[in-house]
Amino acid sequence: MMHYLKIWLASVRYSLVRMMMFRFDFFLWSMVELCWMGVNVLMIAVIYRHTNSIAGWSKYEMLLLVGTSMLIQRLLLGFFWSSIFELGRNIRTGGFDFFVAQPGNIMFMATTRKLDPDSLANSVIATAIVIYSAHQLHLNPGLADIALYAFMIMCGLAIHYSLLVLSVSLAFWITSAQGIEGSYFTLAEFSRLPRKAFRGLASALFVWALPVVIVSNTPARVLLHGFEPALAVWLLAITAGWLGLAILVFNRGLRRYSSASS
Amino acid sequence: MFASLNKYRHAYLVGLQSNLVYRWTFAIRGFFSLFHLAVVFILWGAAYAGTPSIGGFAFGQTLTYFVVLLLLQFLIGAFNEDYQISEEIRNGLINQFLLKPVNYFAYRFSIYVAARTVSGLLVLLPLLAALPFLKDYLTFPHEWWRFVLGLPAVAMSALVQFSIAYCFGMMTFWFLEIQGFVILSMAIESVLGGQMFPLDLLPPWVLHIAGFLPFYYQMYFPAAIFTGRLNDPAVIVQQLGIQLIWVIALLAFNQLLWVRGLRRHTAVGG
Repeated sequence: MMHYLKIWLASVRYSLVRMMMFRFDFFLWSMVELCWMGVNVLMIAVIYRHTNSIAGWSKYEMLLLVGTSMLIQRLLLGFFWSSIFELGRNIRTGGFDFFVAQPGNIMFMATTRKLDPDSLANSVIATAIVIYSAHQLHLNPGLADIALYAFMIMCGLAIHYSLLVLSVSLAFWITSAQGIEGSYFTLAEFSRLPRKAFRGLASALFVWALPVVIVSNTPARVLLHGFEPALAVWLLAITAGWLGLAILVFNRGLRRYSSASS
Repeated sequence: MFASLNKYRHAYLVGLQSNLVYRWTFAIRGFFSLFHLAVVFILWGAAYAGTPSIGGFAFGQTLTYFVVLLLLQFLIGAFNEDYQISEEIRNGLINQFLLKPVNYFAYRFSIYVAARTVSGLLVLLPLLAALPFLKDYLTFPHEWWRFVLGLPAVAMSALVQFSIAYCFGMMTFWFLEIQGFVILSMAIESVLGGQMFPLDLLPPWVLHIAGFLPFYYQMYFPAAIFTGRLNDPAVIVQQLGIQLIWVIALLAFNQLLWVRGLRRHTAVGG
């Protein structure tokens, strides 16, 4: 465990040095993400100019949900996105050999190598949106609620990580599936919507079959309504299930990897 | 005159063939856009649950707006033309155009039209698949003048779309990496182009200002004409004039960037 922590800290150091080398890039990409978060907040503001409720959620409740969803996504982009994005490309080009040859768990090595400090900087903004919304709603969560919220955010991060690894692992089977990781962003759009807005087939697919809705709704509800054991157990179970599936599929794919050198 | 246009016809035909190679990529992209339509349906359906009208429009009208927007995105949207141009500049592939009587803008525009012909036709497949579900909600106005004014608006929107992408591609003469600028611009375009919400839901003074910006004419303007969100022909004609001014300004700016950019360009090797 300590061995992996040391490797990860070396990756953090490398990413920070890289950020300081390309300062303008850091500034530009921070602005890019900030603008996209602003777009989502603006959409909520515009819709609530014309209505008071979306599936029973008031404006600031909805903002809290969107902030929670953005927080999970920023953490994913900050800790894993660059590495996983490159993973798909490396499988196609044969650059993945580099990771196969390393003395350690291949999935860990390949998905934690690069961090994006700009996304992590924006996770602070997403947290600020959550705090602002909670303040507007006059919420006073206790320490236990905040700890539970943070734990659920980590569960959400693990689920999003699993979805991304699963979609990129398809490259082991379909080498030509370029841009498949973009499908993650399409699915992530659903995590900004309240669970009650989903009905019929949409509910079966996006609430029950895929974890995209529950991942953001459960932590948001902890701040709004306190601890709900059934939801917490559900989130924990799907975290274990999806992470297990991602590890299984990645390792199955690994067996098919045949490099690409000439 | 026609002989000089003939080479761009060939560029279009070659572009058509090379884009047909990527037909599955476009088809998958079209399929995933149905998920985006599902988000729109769920979000706006929930917003309309407590009120019969938002901004003076019923749920069906708003859903129709987003369906038309989706169709326009595949028919005239600039997908990755900026990256393609950027790559050609960075890799020195534009050098061949400096030695031949080929206008680079016209060449790239021919390729863009070819790509949109393929993607525009392919998006019809997922839309047709979703039609049994959508048909009860779709509602279009029937005035004939909407086609007379809407079609030139679509054509000029295509020119605005492509010209903005071309501008970003030209930036490669000054910056090594343009991806950050492109995605930053996409955020602005998605709001001011009406892709996140219909622009008429903004406060009137913001909508008024947006009407003078080029983003308004990328998607919102033609979509609003066809879906009945713009209803005064006199106002539409006036805005067609503003759109024409933007087309001319962007074409001139593109030419300026090309001329200035080439002064910085260094062609190495053969």
